[in-house]
Amino acid sequence: MLVKHIISSLCLLAALFFALPAQPPIDLIGEEGDLYAETKQVNQFFRRFNCEETILGERLYPGDSLYHNVDLRKGYMNSLFDSQNPYMSTDLKQAFVDDIIFNSRPFYLDFHGGEWFAEVRASFRNKNKEETVILFLKLQEQEVGSKWVFDGAYLSRFQEVFVVDTASRDSFLHPLSHEIGFQNMNRMFRNNTSLGAFTADGFEADHLTLLLYEVQNGNLKFKQVDEVRFHFLQANNWYFELSRFDRPGFNRGWLISKLTQIPDDKKDILKRYIYNNYQ
Amino acid sequence: MKKALIVGALLICFCLSAMAQNNITPDRKAAIDSLALEKVRDLSQYISIIGNKKTPWSEASRVIERATELFADGSEISVSSLYRTEILHFPVKKYFLRLAALNYDRVNITWFKIQYISDLELQPDGRYVGVITIYQRFEGIMDDGMKYMDVTKKDITIYVEKKSTQIEGEVVDFWDVMLGDIQVKETTR
Repeated sequence: MLVKHIISSLCLLAALFFALPAQPPIDLIGEEGDLYAETKQVNQFFRRFNCEETILGERLYPGDSLYHNVDLRKGYMNSLFDSQNPYMSTDLKQAFVDDIIFNSRPFYLDFHGGEWFAEVRASFRNKNKEETVILFLKLQEQEVGSKWVFDGAYLSRFQEVFVVDTASRDSFLHPLSHEIGFQNMNRMFRNNTSLGAFTADGFEADHLTLLLYEVQNGNLKFKQVDEVRFHFLQANNWYFELSRFDRPGFNRGWLISKLTQIPDDKKDILKRYIYNNYQ
Repeated sequence: MKKALIVGALLICFCLSAMAQNNITPDRKAAIDSLALEKVRDLSQYISIIGNKKTPWSEASRVIERATELFADGSEISVSSLYRTEILHFPVKKYFLRLAALNYDRVNITWFKIQYISDLELQPDGRYVGVITIYQRFEGIMDDGMKYMDVTKKDITIYVEKKSTQIEGEVVDFWDVMLGDIQVKETTR
């Protein structure tokens, strides 16, 4: 009972502490205060966002007094934004917090709820050259458990190969090519610098297919993952990006790095934009 | 140490029936967390011994075997530094051999009083997977006073798997914890 009371008090102190990030740090939990404050895993981001753990990182379960506690959650939420990002205004953050916590139906992140995905910036070796590849992964539910699967990719080299030169006036197969059995394809493939011009309107090269083919053929070799971030579209009419910040102080770890209000029916467009952002 | 692990694993087995798919009771989760942390502490102790120049090679070699046994087959350790963009990947045994070759006269590994244990998620092969995050200060000291020091965040994969053993002729199911891939990141602190 006493332990629970102490933990509750700590949590409320923490809520106050997190709600006032500009104040001098309270030496709440000793030397490791910054490490306690750090959102150490994406899993912890979920738990803090939903208020499903104590300030000491202990899991809260339905029935625990602080589980989904509004005051503690508000404190957590204020600590989950990148405080050094000038593009996320206080008003925007407040609107988001109000919407997810004080709505008649509060919103909670669901790990298995879909509508969130990972963006991985990775290095590959192409002979002696290094190339950056952007991979998109989503969590796929299986008959047993779940797993991350590739859902898209972007590599600038592929984009350059398939660029459609709209200004070109002579890159086409003329309308009577069929009458000569498409013999003119011979010239087209021989001068193969801008084959994209010969594709139908709306053609988009599938970079993931090309990437997997290049890796399987041994032309590209994986080197390392350089950066990971996540995109969340689960909350009604909101989108946010989650990135990892390694820096001194209390505002560190996995934090919301972008926040945008967007109608649910426009989210598909936003997702396509993110997948093609590099093109 | 090994005895403690077996006792821990057997403790878990009694609540086997309560462990439905993706539905681990809070008590069960706590027992698994505790066993996993025990393995992580063992690993830290092994690393201190392996990295210490005063450890005879025969002893280091034996400890490397013990340390490797904590891990699931094929596990790797990736190491990144604040001052190098390249990430180094090592199979666990190679990582320990490399550590033994560093040969500091003294190695101090200090744990920060914090660890974070994720929820357990079911993966397609029926095992549960989780991640434990710990922070450690590593000090390697030479007799001439030269000192290397860093603070690293270690994200350690744990696999929780159902196994069987025979006790006095009876088959008993239990849940065992194995360590998996580890991400070691030097951190600003």
